[in-house]
Amino acid sequence: MKEIRFANKLIRILVKDRLHYPGRLFVDTVSLIARCGILLILYWYVFKLNGGLVNGVTYNIVAWSMFFYFAFSTLRLRDISRSIMRDVQSGNIEVFLNRPVSYLSFKAWWQIGSGIYSFLLVTILGSVGLFFIIGIPQTMTIGIFLPTLLLVFLGASILTLLVYALVGVLAFWIEDIDPVYWIVDKTVMILGGSYLPIALFPTFLYKIALYSPFGASQFITHTVNESWKSDWYVLILTQLLWIIVSGITLYLLYSKAKNKLSVNGG
Amino acid sequence: MLKEIKFALYSIKKNIQSSAELRTSFLMNVIGMAINNTAFIFLWVFFVKSVGIIGGWTAIDIIGLQGFTAISYGIVLSGANGLRKIPNYVVTGSFDRFMLSPKNLILRIATSSFGASAIGDITFGIICIFVYCFLIHVSLYQILIAVVLLFLASLVFLSMTILISSVSFLFTDASSVHEGMFEIFLTPALFHGGAFQGVMRFVFTFLIPSLLIGTIPLEALKDVSLIKIVLMIVMAFFLFFLSIFLFNRSVRRYESSNFMTFGN
Repeated sequence: MKEIRFANKLIRILVKDRLHYPGRLFVDTVSLIARCGILLILYWYVFKLNGGLVNGVTYNIVAWSMFFYFAFSTLRLRDISRSIMRDVQSGNIEVFLNRPVSYLSFKAWWQIGSGIYSFLLVTILGSVGLFFIIGIPQTMTIGIFLPTLLLVFLGASILTLLVYALVGVLAFWIEDIDPVYWIVDKTVMILGGSYLPIALFPTFLYKIALYSPFGASQFITHTVNESWKSDWYVLILTQLLWIIVSGITLYLLYSKAKNKLSVNGG
Repeated sequence: MLKEIKFALYSIKKNIQSSAELRTSFLMNVIGMAINNTAFIFLWVFFVKSVGIIGGWTAIDIIGLQGFTAISYGIVLSGANGLRKIPNYVVTGSFDRFMLSPKNLILRIATSSFGASAIGDITFGIICIFVYCFLIHVSLYQILIAVVLLFLASLVFLSMTILISSVSFLFTDASSVHEGMFEIFLTPALFHGGAFQGVMRFVFTFLIPSLLIGTIPLEALKDVSLIKIVLMIVMAFFLFFLSIFLFNRSVRRYESSNFMTFGN
């Protein structure tokens, strides 16, 4: 209960902060236009050249799938890695560890609070825009779509935080985690269906995306696919499995990390 | 001018030496960035495999595109990494020290920081260009064109970095605007060039010249197109002089915002 009250307070403060300083919102909006917007136009051209179908997939499935990926990225959960790294490098970690709250859960709530305002605004406006411009595919009209989307979104958020927190905790050993972060981030980008939507994946890549934590952390992009109505429970269970595995690994690694920590004062 | 360039080269040398002191971190950054960049090749090669050849672009061209973009990005953001820090220099008031320096302002700022990871971009880019040249069996003439085009692409990238950094003097805290503009410029440069046709190609060649750092040089090299080479030369020098002009105009709007608060 205490934890929920604390999270609630933290998120409220951060949302208020973002309301007053809309710089982040500007960057997120521009970033979504630069990446997703241009990609959608390019794919529109590609689909037009191919007579409206590529690999038996229609344009609006591809467009919504990519939009979900980029909208989810505006939540900026992945920034937890660098946030942990900065704390370790600056020595601020000492202050955080002495507080009567769990450091990792504090960081997780902080990330959610930092990104939720941009995420909600960009997602709602983007969805409305996309709905009016290209419409929605039939797969988004089935009854299970919305409830499973929410479920898989929740799982994706938890798994993303866990995977990137694992990268962040490596800072206790190697300090500069940027190279590891880049590799993990690009793996998530490829397997998550960013520039190349899941529906257009070759079979072997699709299997890797399905059974790796990197792909599982972006399962929201699968929700618009034709296969979702038959496979959704398998994918949600896979996501749950990776949450448990990543959670245990993070717990063990973080316990070791705390013992490893040496703060250089200053 | 020669003196200024000598000074800039000396600064870059010292910056490299300083970064190389932290050997493990330096090497990890270089290798990490090179691996990171291969992701784009994977993505667009799979794209070509899925949707087929678009605008005459094959999977091999993607390797060349990434090579051109990575090299121009790497050259500018390794040696002239300070340009990307201008918004931070302005907000914190540390821009004052550059204004007071007797050296050329842009050169002094540009060489004030070094991006170790950009060396990874250069390494990756060179490998890509070699692979590309080998795969398309380039002639000696094309190799010479490639060198010229790499220089021009880097000049475009440098000009755009200066141009985008100039907005730092127009806003109280321009870091968000700066970041957003850089994103808009860089992202399309990494996309499959063949898919940019018609209006999109015009916009991203002349208004936001992202295609000038990868797509257009690659097509100029592949087709040995004189028109595209001339376009590159004209645009590169036009953007360079325009960026210097606008930067110097923008600097006039700079007001010190140092944290010492003396003099009110």
